[in-house]
Amino acid sequence: MAKSGDISMFTCPYCSTQRENFEALREHILADHKGSLLPEPANRIRLLINGLEHAMNVEPEWTLYHLIHDRLGMTGSKQFCDRGACGSCTVIMDGLPVLSCMVLAIECDGRTIETVEGVARAGHPLIESYVKHHAMQCGYCTPGFVVTSKALLDRNPDPTEGEIREALSGNLCRCGTYPQHIVAVREAARTLLKEKEDSGGER
Amino acid sequence: MVDNFSDEQKKGMEEMQDNLTADRHPLPRYKHIGGRGGRRLDGQPKASGQAEYTMDVILPGMLHLRFLDSPYPHAAVRSMDTSKAERLDGVRYVLRYDNPEMPEKASTGKFHGLYGDQPPLPGIAHFEGEPVGVAIAAETEAIAEEALTLVEVEWEERSFNLDPVKAREKDAPLSYPEMYPAGNFWNNGLFNELVLGDAKKGFHESERVMEFAFSRRGHTWIGPERPCGVFRWNGESPEVWVKQQRPHLVKKNLATWYGGIPMNSIQLHCLYQGASFGGWVQVPWNMGPLYCAGFVAKKTGRPVKYALTRREDFYGQSMDDGRYSLKVGFNRDGRINAVKGSSTMTNQLWPMFNIMGHFKENTSIPHLHGVTESVWVNKGPAVPTRCEMLPTSLCITMVFNRVAAECGLDPIEVALRNDGIEGHGTDHLAEERRNRGFSDVDSMKECVERGKKAFGWDAKWHAPGTRKLPNGRMHGVGFTWTHEWDDSLGTSEMAIRIERNDGTATILAMGCDNGVDAENTYCRIAADELGFRLEDVRYNPQIDPGFFRMSPDSSTNASVNGWAVRHAARIVKAQILQAAVSPTARTQRGSYRPAFPDCTPDDLDIEDSVIYRKSDPSQRMSLGDFVREAGQSGPISSSESAGYRWAFSEPLFAFGYQVQLGSYNPENPRPHFTRQAHFLEVEVDTETGGIFLTSVVNVNDVGKAMNPMSCEGQQYGGSIMGLSRGLFEEMIYDQATGVMLNGNLLDYKIATIKDVSCPIGTILVETGQGYGPYGSVGIGEDIGTVMTGILGPAVYNAIGVWIDDHPITPDKVLKALGKT
Amino acid sequence: MKPFAHFNATSMDEAVEILGRYGGRAAVIAGGTDLLGRMKDLVLPSYPEALVNIKTIPGLDAVGEDRGYLKIGALTRLSALASHPAVRAEYSALAEAADRTASPHLRNLGTIGGNLCQDIRCWYYRGPNNRFSCLRKGGGRCYALKGDNRFHSIFGASVEQGCVAVHPSDTAPVLIALDAEVETSKRTMKVMDLFTVRPLRTTVLDPDEILTGVRIPVPSPGTKGAFLKFAQRKSIDFPIVNCAAMLTFDEGVVKEARICLNAVYVTPRRAYAAERALAGRFLDEETAAEAAREAIADARPLQHNAYMVQVARTLVKRALLACGGQGE
Repeated sequence: MAKSGDISMFTCPYCSTQRENFEALREHILADHKGSLLPEPANRIRLLINGLEHAMNVEPEWTLYHLIHDRLGMTGSKQFCDRGACGSCTVIMDGLPVLSCMVLAIECDGRTIETVEGVARAGHPLIESYVKHHAMQCGYCTPGFVVTSKALLDRNPDPTEGEIREALSGNLCRCGTYPQHIVAVREAARTLLKEKEDSGGER
Repeated sequence: MVDNFSDEQKKGMEEMQDNLTADRHPLPRYKHIGGRGGRRLDGQPKASGQAEYTMDVILPGMLHLRFLDSPYPHAAVRSMDTSKAERLDGVRYVLRYDNPEMPEKASTGKFHGLYGDQPPLPGIAHFEGEPVGVAIAAETEAIAEEALTLVEVEWEERSFNLDPVKAREKDAPLSYPEMYPAGNFWNNGLFNELVLGDAKKGFHESERVMEFAFSRRGHTWIGPERPCGVFRWNGESPEVWVKQQRPHLVKKNLATWYGGIPMNSIQLHCLYQGASFGGWVQVPWNMGPLYCAGFVAKKTGRPVKYALTRREDFYGQSMDDGRYSLKVGFNRDGRINAVKGSSTMTNQLWPMFNIMGHFKENTSIPHLHGVTESVWVNKGPAVPTRCEMLPTSLCITMVFNRVAAECGLDPIEVALRNDGIEGHGTDHLAEERRNRGFSDVDSMKECVERGKKAFGWDAKWHAPGTRKLPNGRMHGVGFTWTHEWDDSLGTSEMAIRIERNDGTATILAMGCDNGVDAENTYCRIAADELGFRLEDVRYNPQIDPGFFRMSPDSSTNASVNGWAVRHAARIVKAQILQAAVSPTARTQRGSYRPAFPDCTPDDLDIEDSVIYRKSDPSQRMSLGDFVREAGQSGPISSSESAGYRWAFSEPLFAFGYQVQLGSYNPENPRPHFTRQAHFLEVEVDTETGGIFLTSVVNVNDVGKAMNPMSCEGQQYGGSIMGLSRGLFEEMIYDQATGVMLNGNLLDYKIATIKDVSCPIGTILVETGQGYGPYGSVGIGEDIGTVMTGILGPAVYNAIGVWIDDHPITPDKVLKALGKT
Repeated sequence: MKPFAHFNATSMDEAVEILGRYGGRAAVIAGGTDLLGRMKDLVLPSYPEALVNIKTIPGLDAVGEDRGYLKIGALTRLSALASHPAVRAEYSALAEAADRTASPHLRNLGTIGGNLCQDIRCWYYRGPNNRFSCLRKGGGRCYALKGDNRFHSIFGASVEQGCVAVHPSDTAPVLIALDAEVETSKRTMKVMDLFTVRPLRTTVLDPDEILTGVRIPVPSPGTKGAFLKFAQRKSIDFPIVNCAAMLTFDEGVVKEARICLNAVYVTPRRAYAAERALAGRFLDEETAAEAAREAIADARPLQHNAYMVQVARTLVKRALLACGGQGE
């Protein structure tokens, strides 16, 4: 049986209260919910990756690694242990190096993410110093080290050897390239400091 | 073309293939070989995340294939209900072990007759965690994984073995009854005996005889990239991506699958590889999944990617898992007369290397008797893990340091006293060197002296258990040495082409990167041989193993491939010089004036990518000007009518190849001349058993360091991997259930940057006595293998007690000190 | 990972309401570093139907003084805790414990609440695909008791359960030594009382109860603390043994001692006998050694973990001496 009365009512998608006409509903939503007229689905996230806005629907079980590597095709982040024990999938989230295999994508709404692709595109001197000092062998874990080192230099432009070791102590390299990382990170730090000096502190 | 070579050049090429004697045609000088700098070809892609690995391959419509893992170490699938899995949304194919279209057996990685052809998807598991019974292809890996949880299996559990000594007993259950019904031991030649002299006599002649035993727990390789592959059918032709150190062998196997496929219709991509250290060479439990992927790809008409899980990759083990017993006869001055050793190892899939091997190749000990036997147990297969010489390296370290301890001597003194070859002393070694045209430098002395000095050995070495440091810890140092090796028995094909338009050189060879920057070494060789600038030579990896090269298994890179590329470069150089004095562009109407008229090739040379006349260097032409443009209309029509000469040299292309009689040829064609020595300093906390590494020095006689930074990378990497194995690494099984307990990277421990944080000194000695080009020899396999054992003597020197169970973990230190 | 429903809670009430609705079949997610590992490996017989994200609840990550307490919000990341100026200055042992937990990357995700509520790491319990249906999963027996127990309890099993899996937290022993309390959505209790040993549970929290924060009373004047951790590797690893000590001195004499070991027993374990042995005495090498002996006097190691007794004794002694400004 048709319930014509119900159909004529306008239901708020946020709180399910009803209004008699669209105008009233519109005013209610803008006043009480301060949102756009239709709520976005709960699995809708917006995030900034390497400076670019991304808006997409994600499944709850997707990790940030899955989103970045498998869905967005940014394959620089690597999966080595998939259990938070190796650092190969490191990305910088709101300034901190974190393991993208241990972060749910759906919880990244509003976050700022930087991946190795972003570090490379910005021409960060770490890339060149890694190449120069052979801070790699098979290369699979290398992006994780680069990203972790980038986050270190962002907050500590002139790290000591001990500080570099500490910062990289969550990154495993099976090929055993650790000594070269120390050299590469220190050189990149010097390059950045010199750039900063040359440009009068602006960078 | 070959007719244009001078006699000298021809001689040089013949001898290129002879690595048994000294390199009689080295270059008069090296410009790029041995240099630093020069960019790694893989550097930018790897550091920036652009380098593509097989795990990164995503194809349109690709399905994901996952396997069921056996929960038991030995069990057969009695029955299986996959109906629930088949009904799950997103599941596209369920491949069962009893699929009638699946072959009973397929070529899945036969090697030397061991382990034979296997079912691509077995119905019986021989170790816990083995992919078995069913493979499920789904739209996502997560769906495939969920579907596997819906499979109901009725298992027939079977008796199993974990301990090789118990498995060797007569009434032990059979570990692999289908393959080895006669028993767990002595199958298919997995028994290796080495006899030199008469050990009994040697013991009799010795002042002292000592016996000891120790064990080494199996460890694993941990390739960072999971074993994986992608299979797509382009009509009848397979296009396959593999993470495989030996892609050419994948192609060879693949050609026999699915009723047979011609080699030339198989397209095989071998991208960058997240390392495997030998572990994943053609093992059935890697090839089988690829077979399944191809099968499912055909059935579904879609590309299929398989990736073993991190845990599934954990089951492969090193070849040193086992028990060792040694008997040593020696004199009080450290002279060793006889060593008898036996070892009982597990699941060797590779021809075993005798535990007395390095004693024979590397010492003057006249009497040796070594027995290495393998027993089948219900653990994963044991394959080379960095190198199959872990056991013999471990034994030589233990024997020499034990003898030194018994005699109260410096272990270096004992090592020097017993240096030699095949039971003969250093005089014999020197004679062998001279006979083969090598320099008269004693590599052992060279390595030891330089290492001792850099390490400060004389000040640091002391009697065992006697030096307590101000921080309360005990101080200890360890020393070990052996010869350099790589399995240079191998073949290689490489080509060089001179590019049109700019005259740069491209090396064409199989793409199969293993991270050691060997490609840069090949560029250095080609540049020096051609007379090119380094930046004018580039390695162009071929996506398909059309050109075979002996690097994929990583046992050999430059010492075989270096000859091939050098050979190709010498031919191309001869081609260039011949072309330079020959008419440019022969046409139907005649030919054009040579670039260097009135010259013979011998009058010319190339330097910095410029051809010049030796007697008048002002007569010069760059390679770019020489080859000129590749004109779209060629030299005939437009150029002639326009009235100018359009130079167009003949194609400049040549291949080189090498068939090497390596030092591990069974005929043992030449002795090992080069040596390596390693030094370790530790501090031991006797209250917790904690071990702290404080200094490492690696000295390697690499013959000729063609790419020193690459060599040093192997010294760092080998030390760190070796010490990580010595300190932490073992696969731990529950003895009651046969289940692996630490199959993940948290519970299985590999060293972090803070665990090996001490300085690592790297010294490269260059005696030119190797068997690669320019007298070089490999370095990659050795250090990680040798350094695994050095922790034993270092900890002994600190605490004065031997620990005979490796790895040396804190619990064992405390136990040795009587504190548990 | 298998699918599940996901909720971003905007208030504690909402989070509690969702948990109540799912009646124990939902899990709270904060840092996620423990939970997601368990879910990926299908460790447990059941899989959560829903995750309730509490990171979207504002104000749970604050650290600050509040009426005689240092209050630490449950969502305070371990890295933030380790580098917080007030924590470093006044509660350096806690900063040290936070800083020695896991790896730098994990400390940027993991929270203090999660570090207290984390599950056990016993390798039988954690076997993928629920391989061992052990006591802690409601099964019939403890596999570690007769199996490979090199990282298990040296002080016996829990009374009711016979489980020998140790509690792995690095921060819990310091908080216990500091006499801290936890605040939940329902109640406040001593940190020591938070822990329990029951099937599928390591805390006494109800299924719909959420830990909201930790509060630490301002220590008495003259109190010095230390935290020491022993593990195989210098990073990433869980402790083999750790020890926290808080000593209150009065003119060199120990007035009050609170010592807590962890990773040696099914819950964090106060070393009461050691505390008693110290009370009223000058702290020196000898008294520290004596207290350390007391701390392990009732140890009952299993087949493979006798070494942990020695390590525990060493750590107690060194932690005590560190409080006195000596030792490590």
